[in-house]
Amino acid sequence: MRSNIVRNAAKLVAGLSGLLLISISLSAHHGQAGYNTTETVTVNGTVSDFQFVNPHSIVSLDVKDDKGEKQSWQGELTSPNHLIRAGWTATSLKPGDQVTMAGFRAKSGANSMWITKISVNGDEMKMGAGN
Amino acid sequence: MRTRWLATLILPSLAFAQAPSTVKPPDLSGVWSVKGSPATRYLSWSFSKDEPPMTPWAEERFKLTKPSFGPRAVEDSNDPVNPTTLSAVGCFPPGMPRLYLQPFPLEIIQTPGRVIMLFEFSHFVRQIYTDGRKHNTDLGPTWLGDAIGHWDGDTLVVDTIGFNDKTWVDRAGHPHSTDMHLTERFRRVDDKTLTDDITIEDPKAYTKPWGGQITFALHPTWNVMEMVCEDNVNFDQFLKNEAKSKK
Repeated sequence: MRSNIVRNAAKLVAGLSGLLLISISLSAHHGQAGYNTTETVTVNGTVSDFQFVNPHSIVSLDVKDDKGEKQSWQGELTSPNHLIRAGWTATSLKPGDQVTMAGFRAKSGANSMWITKISVNGDEMKMGAGN
Repeated sequence: MRTRWLATLILPSLAFAQAPSTVKPPDLSGVWSVKGSPATRYLSWSFSKDEPPMTPWAEERFKLTKPSFGPRAVEDSNDPVNPTTLSAVGCFPPGMPRLYLQPFPLEIIQTPGRVIMLFEFSHFVRQIYTDGRKHNTDLGPTWLGDAIGHWDGDTLVVDTIGFNDKTWVDRAGHPHSTDMHLTERFRRVDDKTLTDDITIEDPKAYTKPWGGQITFALHPTWNVMEMVCEDNVNFDQFLKNEAKSKK
């Protein structure tokens, strides 16, 4: 009985931790209130995923830190419609592509940014308007 | 002599009376998007850089709004269209005039007796009747209101009433009542530019009329594309999965 309570309490804590993580990510959902717009950070890495979806497209990167360890980064772009008008397609980024992205980091300190500039395999991509 | 006198008197009057129907109104058709500049950065969230003069009724409601955009933007927004909190539904219609501030183009299709606006954002259709009909006041309040228009020279004057009070006037959280009266004056100032002078009157919410001017740029090569706000749900799920995978 007691072990059940402990197990359930552990599940609750784990669930709440999950919710906290989710909230942190979702806070970046609309507008730029979740980002520190006074400072620009730049990361280089390899594309692990590209979601060409509304309301915002998402770039996932594997980045090596100073110690050579892999860090996962997420960059947020505007909607596919704006990107299409700027020349993008759903396959503009493919897993394995080398990307440099610069932008405003999440205030939470997560490895997440609102992208303001992005280069793919050395070519700078035109940014679409809109948020 | 008498005939000539009559002709002198009547013909100019007839010509004057017929003039409005013979003047072809300018064509506003095309795909347009709001043209911003550093001076009009406020168009990302409202129609004026100055705070509108709210009544106590509006102030009370304004304090409860937590927008995603503008100077009061917060991370736990309760914006009915673009919220940032996990439990918020979102994607309610932005309504008028806020639809112009959603950062997506619109297409104007002008036909005799009707001007149609196709908004890319969630594909709202706004119909402005220019066939001389009066407002239909028998209908209940609606998200976009009841819009009628007429031509004042080269300017399309659009009068809209009959709004519900579920929307914000803008993306900054300014409220309005069901008494809101929207007046717009559209003018194609050149081939590639359209202006809309917007006046918002709502004595219950504002102590005097307010608004501003939006400038639209023509995009001859653009189409209105699919943009479904409810895709936000998929986006939330994606972020949720991402968060779980990084635990």
